Amino acid sequence: MDIFVCIKRVPDTSEAEVSVDESGKEVDSSRFSFDINEADNYAVEEALLLKERLGGTVQVVCVDCGDVETIIRMALAKGADGAIQVNDGRVNVKDPLVIARVLAAVIGQHQFDLVLTGCMAGDDGYMTVGAALAEELTLPCATMVKNVEPQGGRLSVCRELEGGLLEEVDIALPAVLTIQTGINEPRYASIRGVRQAQKKEIKVLKIEDLEIAEEEAAGGRSSVEMQELYVPEVASRAELIEGEPAQKAEVLAGKLVKGGLL
Amino acid sequence: MDERENGFIQKHDLLGCIQCGRCTGGCPVTARSGLNVRGILRGALDEDLLQSLAGLPEIWDCTACGNCSLRCPKGLKPLDVLVALRSILVEGGVIQPSVRDALESIFREGNPWDKPRAARFDWRRDLDLKVVGPGEAVHCLVFVCCTVAYDPRLQGIAGNLGRLLNYAGVHYGFMEEGETCCASEAYCLGEEGLFEMMVEDNSELLNSYSASRIITISPHCYSAFKNQYPQLRAEILHYTELLAELLREGKMELNRELKERIVYHDPCFLGKQNGVFNDPRFILQQLPGAELVEFERTRERSLCCEGGGGKMWVESESRGERLAAVRVREAKMLGAGVLAAACPFCLLTLEDAVKAEGWEDEIKVAEILEIAGGLIQE
Repeated sequence: MDIFVCIKRVPDTSEAEVSVDESGKEVDSSRFSFDINEADNYAVEEALLLKERLGGTVQVVCVDCGDVETIIRMALAKGADGAIQVNDGRVNVKDPLVIARVLAAVIGQHQFDLVLTGCMAGDDGYMTVGAALAEELTLPCATMVKNVEPQGGRLSVCRELEGGLLEEVDIALPAVLTIQTGINEPRYASIRGVRQAQKKEIKVLKIEDLEIAEEEAAGGRSSVEMQELYVPEVASRAELIEGEPAQKAEVLAGKLVKGGLL
Repeated sequence: MDERENGFIQKHDLLGCIQCGRCTGGCPVTARSGLNVRGILRGALDEDLLQSLAGLPEIWDCTACGNCSLRCPKGLKPLDVLVALRSILVEGGVIQPSVRDALESIFREGNPWDKPRAARFDWRRDLDLKVVGPGEAVHCLVFVCCTVAYDPRLQGIAGNLGRLLNYAGVHYGFMEEGETCCASEAYCLGEEGLFEMMVEDNSELLNSYSASRIITISPHCYSAFKNQYPQLRAEILHYTELLAELLREGKMELNRELKERIVYHDPCFLGKQNGVFNDPRFILQQLPGAELVEFERTRERSLCCEGGGGKMWVESESRGERLAAVRVREAKMLGAGVLAAACPFCLLTLEDAVKAEGWEDEIKVAEILEIAGGLIQE
């Protein structure tokens, strides 16, 4: 099975103080540490597990002109066979639809059976690229995938839905799956492995290498524009209702009725 | 069998093992784990068994205290055998997620705690400390351990060392830039490639500073620099060696009274592995009003707290009583009000044990730098 995995480099904001920079449209990332997006890391592992079971190849794709070599080399050290980086500052990486179109232009040049992405990016949280990529490639898609079982030329996949529901889907190949975290346990890439992975090729592409117009890659058709980014105001507007339980319930019910909620 | 496993017997001189059992007899974790060093050394004679030996969960119970290597009458290094077995798993990529995350963090951010590199020096904001850059001549260059740099419980320790050095008029400086993990824990966790890379990078960095001495806060950095960094030019000291020297030479005086019974816990990486037993005790003996008492198991026989050997990131399968709990019980039986540590890992494990017992009001676990830092009149 020949698999493409799309990966993204994101800041780790779990413990960092998040503030907006002077432009008012960007998060100040000067003090962040960066790593592969968590869900993408699981997608890489799932691709490697499928390759180990079924044979084939795993190619990593990344659309980013920043310092992504480390995360790509780590994926290669874990067992990916090759990598493609679209390293072009003209690509509007803020727009998930643009990213999906560029990824589709890259992956569409190749023969493949399966495309995996993470289900969500840890920075913008759009959850859009995987589904949009499937649309661009005109392929079936399953999102939030928690289990993958190959069955002949198809896949049986388990999706995680709202409220804790699980859905089993039978999907034809080629397909796009967006992988939920927790589907597996990502392996470690030892430093010796990362060094050995230097021998594997990272193919670097520009817009001109792809069948996509520069205007489109730059977001000319983009319907997404960042207008303002701000930290939600912390305010205290809670009203504490005093009294015995029955009195409190009556007051609360009155307020809900008055507010049109009941 | 991969290339590295070839020659395993020769590399570790396993045919020299006479199966005397001194290693297992001195291994502190046998009290709560199935780890049997003697059995592992015997098993490793069959190189086809290495993979299955590496798969034993108790391999991760070793705290790298070094007792087995110290006690071996044939001069073998059983600890290195255990580390080599861990490294088989690391190279295969299948390790506990907490270990994987710590190692990836060392590689990416230069610390095992998944903290941003950019926040390394936040602890010293607004403190009156001296900082030196590469090439600037300095007598004592202070190297702050990752755990001290990032853990809010421990950050004050580094500040206290600066205060004491200011007070004693020492020509010192904290590193202006570049400070990163010594990788001692990466080594113990079996990530030899990462360790080698960090040794190379750190040696170049530390040699770029014109320092006569490098003062470490953690015994783990100390032991690594002293024994595993052959290219370092500066003399390596643990801070307890420097403070004892300053007290002996009369350059510093601890002049506030501390009426406490204090028991000192020897860190394995300072005591057993490097023979620094007297200097921490000398400092504690200079505290006006304090009484220093000793554990029954002390100095070379000191009981490990289980904080080293990468154990901060490994959850043992054993449900047996933690050695740190044994240690704090012994301290309580001695009537000690202060359990003194000279290592960030010892401090954290012992303090956790005191909290688990609910003895916070009876025993205070304190770093020597916390104690001494509070006893100077600047």
